[in-house]
Amino acid sequence: MSADFLQWLQGTRLAVAIAEVWFPLVESLHVLTMACVAGTIFIVDTRLVGLTSRKLAFTYLSDRLLPWTWGAFGCSVVTGTLMFMSNATGYYANTAFRVKMLLLLLAGLNMLYFQTVTFRGVSRWDLSRPPVAARLAGAASICLWCGVIGFGRWIGFTNN
Amino acid sequence: MNARAFNDWLSSTALSQVLQDTHGAIAGIQMVHIVCLATLFALALNLSLRLAGRGLVAEPLASMAARFVPGIWICLALLLLTGSLLIVAEPHRTITNPAFYTKMGLLAVGIVLTIRLASIARGQPEKTTAPRVAMAMLYMLIWIGIIFAGRYIAYLI
Repeated sequence: MSADFLQWLQGTRLAVAIAEVWFPLVESLHVLTMACVAGTIFIVDTRLVGLTSRKLAFTYLSDRLLPWTWGAFGCSVVTGTLMFMSNATGYYANTAFRVKMLLLLLAGLNMLYFQTVTFRGVSRWDLSRPPVAARLAGAASICLWCGVIGFGRWIGFTNN
Repeated sequence: MNARAFNDWLSSTALSQVLQDTHGAIAGIQMVHIVCLATLFALALNLSLRLAGRGLVAEPLASMAARFVPGIWICLALLLLTGSLLIVAEPHRTITNPAFYTKMGLLAVGIVLTIRLASIARGQPEKTTAPRVAMAMLYMLIWIGIIFAGRYIAYLI
């Protein structure tokens, strides 16, 4: 990403308004939506690992919870983008921010692989213990989202 | 002892010094704090939806409450532990901070509502009434308020 673009981005009226006035509110909304994203994912993932909700069909649980996850994730992307705009050069250079983005990408790829490969045989294990591949996907997802939260918080300690 | 003297004493204790001097300790504790809050928020959201006759309706409310309420208590215990460590590590951020006391007040209401919710689930669980829907909404508003107040602690020092 070019330095000129980042400078322009953080100089826009919206970015300046966020930096000077709205940052605490936007950040609080970001934490709230991330809590909803991670929390609902944890419930689905612990079912996938075989730790919780074992009496509920996996598809039922995911169909009921994932709309909340995606809705909150959309809001999280908006609030995260607004926060990024407020100090684009600082965030872009921040290692914790880059690691968070990498972990988000890995969490997305993990979900994509699960949906396109492992999930195809869900009818065989919907009401029973998921296969190893599904349990691994769930465990990886839990770890990745803990990492997203951890590095997200670390940004606050390292961003200038 | 006034608040300032208490802050000075608390930040000079051995535990506070260790937390302040250990690289990443405060961030690590905050990370656990936020993961617990996220888990608790999702559990509370599901219970609230179920109380209002929505969400995971295939599972009886009593069964869901029996699974989720203990999870909420475990999260609350971990939040209390990590929150206490954060106060010890940085007392000047919290002891005189109005956002902190707002968060604690809301937390007290959240605990009372959790007890009430568990009691409802054990009593007449499958009845969806207007007061229960209102209670479910209030329950979620309390946790949203706790998240906001927690974040505003950093801005009202």
